[in-house]
Amino acid sequence: MKKIIISEDDFQKFREFFYRKVGISFENDKRYFVDKRLIERIELTGANDFSDYFIMLRFEASGQELQQLINVMTINETYFFREEYQFKCLVNSILDEITRNKKDTSPIRIWCVPSSSGEEAYSIAIYLLEHWPGMAKWDVEIISSDIDSVMIERAQRGHYSSRSVQYLPATLLTKYFKPSGDGYQICEDLRSSVEFTCVNLMDSVEMRAYRKFDVIFCRNLLIYFDDLSRRLAAETFFDALNPNGFVCLGYSESMSRISSLFRVRKFPEAIVYQKPGVDL
Amino acid sequence: MPFIKKNNPTIDSYEHEHSRDLNELAIQLADGNPVIRRGAALNLAQHQDASEILVDRLKQDNDTSVRDAILTTLISLGDSFAVIGLVECLRSEDAALRNEVVDAMKQLPEKVAPIMNSLLVDSNSDVRIFAVNILESLRHLQVETWLDRVIEDDPHINVCATAVDLLGEVSTSTSRAALIHLRSRFPDEPYICFAVNLALKRIGEDKGT
Amino acid sequence: MKRILIVDDAATVRLYYRTILESANYSVEEAINGIEALEKIMWISFDLCVVDINMPKLDGFGFLKELRRQAIDQPPVIMISTEAQASDRQQAYRVGANLYLIKPVKPSELLTHLRLLLGEARA
Repeated sequence: MKKIIISEDDFQKFREFFYRKVGISFENDKRYFVDKRLIERIELTGANDFSDYFIMLRFEASGQELQQLINVMTINETYFFREEYQFKCLVNSILDEITRNKKDTSPIRIWCVPSSSGEEAYSIAIYLLEHWPGMAKWDVEIISSDIDSVMIERAQRGHYSSRSVQYLPATLLTKYFKPSGDGYQICEDLRSSVEFTCVNLMDSVEMRAYRKFDVIFCRNLLIYFDDLSRRLAAETFFDALNPNGFVCLGYSESMSRISSLFRVRKFPEAIVYQKPGVDL
Repeated sequence: MPFIKKNNPTIDSYEHEHSRDLNELAIQLADGNPVIRRGAALNLAQHQDASEILVDRLKQDNDTSVRDAILTTLISLGDSFAVIGLVECLRSEDAALRNEVVDAMKQLPEKVAPIMNSLLVDSNSDVRIFAVNILESLRHLQVETWLDRVIEDDPHINVCATAVDLLGEVSTSTSRAALIHLRSRFPDEPYICFAVNLALKRIGEDKGT
Repeated sequence: MKRILIVDDAATVRLYYRTILESANYSVEEAINGIEALEKIMWISFDLCVVDINMPKLDGFGFLKELRRQAIDQPPVIMISTEAQASDRQQAYRVGANLYLIKPVKPSELLTHLRLLLGEARA
């Protein structure tokens, strides 16, 4: 079988395309990482060479190969305290601004989507309890949603592998989890503090119920959506947020590939996106 | 523990009562409050004949969130009135509107393809540039043929420049002659030479020998 | 080394400017539209931005308006566009562009204007 080679020009062409569509830029030091995966996809799809593969990728009506490619080029593992800098941003910056401008004492509402198996939502709950002084004064409602009902069940069960909790400080692991079987069970108090719902983000009727949120975490989901679905998701988030509410995307994600509905805001810990307030 | 947990989010009464009637929505589309206009624009997605009033509103609305909603709905309606209306907006003096419309039209490749030929020969060079831009989202191999024709015939340098940029990504050896011809049409333009050389270099690699 | 941000949705155009600027010893970062440009400016300090008008999601005008609005670094901005819309030039200066150029830009043109704005003009 002829050996497939990715030339320098091939890499540049691919790089530009991927950067435009996804927002991730592969520098030259990522050649090994990228080439390996490209070659895998070329072989798997039965293309003759990069050129053939790229034409297929570029012009495929369904966009499926691009989705597959994005899957292999990105890391989609979930675990507790993943991308912790955003939780820091939440408790050090975002919530301060929200509570400063709040006109009533209604609960702070946070929406995490996708919930996956719940690590993110529970991470936020733990972070708030541990690091946000405002918990003494404000009620918080955390809702977390996923399209996959199996994931929702897992999240509700609250049982996690040691791999999943490996980045939790030992004190927090002891405080909020009990060893259980070959993993850990999240404590009942925490388990009952998050509402998990099974919904389809693309279903506009279902989404009508999601309103008046202060913060939305949508990390490492939209990167796997096509352009139109990303646009629709942005519309949904816009309507789901209170004016001046915030959206947090994943580390390598940006609204630049999604929508201009939100204003870019920089906090010391992170860049987040804000729904414009009522015009003054 | 100050976490509160309600039952599954429910649709509140405002949303339930919010009208879906076409005439009502048309009135709301002109409301002074952008939140109401936006809601009306999104709800009009259920009305197949809403494109014209949406386009009318699009041309005059200054609110980004309303325009965004109108465009999202026009994309989902995607009928000929929507497409014609969007093309009209390409001629707007409002740069933000033009660019938003180009973005939206990229979401309608099948609807735009039948009119691409006429867009590519429009008397307005900006419209031709936008048409080439929109070609980026069309997923069929005729794209290269269209681009070749542009760089062979279009008199405007920036229309050609936009086309040759896209050819840097999609060109195959079929475009070789057209690219070389373009370089000879604008011999004193460094950008054109640069872009053509880049595209040729990439075709050279494609040959694989 | 002075750092320049190039903002244009066309990959070839960005590469063209990069080639010109790097051979003149500037360090270069890229963004494909106004949103990405704002994000980069929020993390990195730039000496100057070269910004196209026609870009998806947030165009050159939108970017500049938002830049001037925010309490962040305000580098000088060269705005670049096609010539057909005369109103573009007026609007560019209105939103705070330091200079407006028409595409395609020749290397010497870009470098001369850039050096002037950076205060590097030779006597």
